[in-house]
Amino acid sequence: MTFVQAMLLAVLQGVSELFPISSLGHTVLIPALLRWPVAESSESFLAFVVALHLGTALALVAFYRRTWVGIVRGLTRSVVRGRIGADRDERIGWLLVAGTVPVGILGVLFEPAVRLLFGSPLAVAWFLVANAGVMFAGEALRVRRETRIQRETLNPAPAGVRLEDLAWQRGALVGVAQALALLPGISRSGSAIVAGLLAGLDHEDAASFSFLLATPVILAASVLEVPKLFAPAVRGIGLEALAGGVLAAVTAYASVAFLTRYFRHNDLRPFGWYCLILGGVSVVLFATKVIA
Amino acid sequence: MKALALLLAALFLIAAILYATGHGYPSGVHTKHAIVAFVLAVLALVWFRFQSAPAGSSR
Repeated sequence: MTFVQAMLLAVLQGVSELFPISSLGHTVLIPALLRWPVAESSESFLAFVVALHLGTALALVAFYRRTWVGIVRGLTRSVVRGRIGADRDERIGWLLVAGTVPVGILGVLFEPAVRLLFGSPLAVAWFLVANAGVMFAGEALRVRRETRIQRETLNPAPAGVRLEDLAWQRGALVGVAQALALLPGISRSGSAIVAGLLAGLDHEDAASFSFLLATPVILAASVLEVPKLFAPAVRGIGLEALAGGVLAAVTAYASVAFLTRYFRHNDLRPFGWYCLILGGVSVVLFATKVIA
Repeated sequence: MKALALLLAALFLIAAILYATGHGYPSGVHTKHAIVAFVLAVLALVWFRFQSAPAGSSR
């Protein structure tokens, strides 16, 4: 892998980790489609990926720094007091706990089994098509739900559930939905946003909840893998890892800034079309052996 | 329920220690499992704390 390819992968990671288009899927598909000589199981490549994830996680922490300070204070307050109050930060903090625990357990239990799929670009391409299906289905179900509420309440613009008012079990279900992203090609943020929409959140709150849920998961996974950055085989790619981590952080920060604005007035369908086209073209290319 | 919370906390803590030391696991140390078990132990203790709050004050 050349320096330029490494930097392109860093940009790809920073963008695709937060856009609902599957970063893992892109990390497998793009090098395969462009025939880059990437040894995805090598120690040096794994260390490089750790640096990219660390950069992405730090960008998320930086973007939501005020929110996180409020959440940590709220969680501490509620534990000291011995009950969960009506404060917004406390509620969101415990919703994040409810959403993170299931995905943590499912990830630890099932990640080794689904890791076998990582080496197959054809499987990843199919899952990217499935990811498009998840987003289209999510939007269709949201529209149907809103139409039903409009009909029942005679309100032309029914208000959705606000994030801090989301029920605990629904918050946990949004967390469980993230586990779909164990399958390479299914987007974690896409699954979480769709689950949030189905729970009654609007796009903006569903996206914010998804990005907040992503932070502890990506940060914990990256920190656990930090020792890989200091493995002997990695010494030759120190510059790539450092520059890649910084580039992934910058692009991730720009991506979350863009997406939080985008979801105020727009939906998931453009990302669904993107995944459908890229996944569909990749399936044809890999299945017909145009690309081995 | 308080007793259940404490029991769960103790069980998860023991599991975390076993995973972290690799004791009884031929495949060795399981760091991720240990962290998840430890987090669950902490949450069980938080649950215990919430039930210990003065009556009528918990949601």
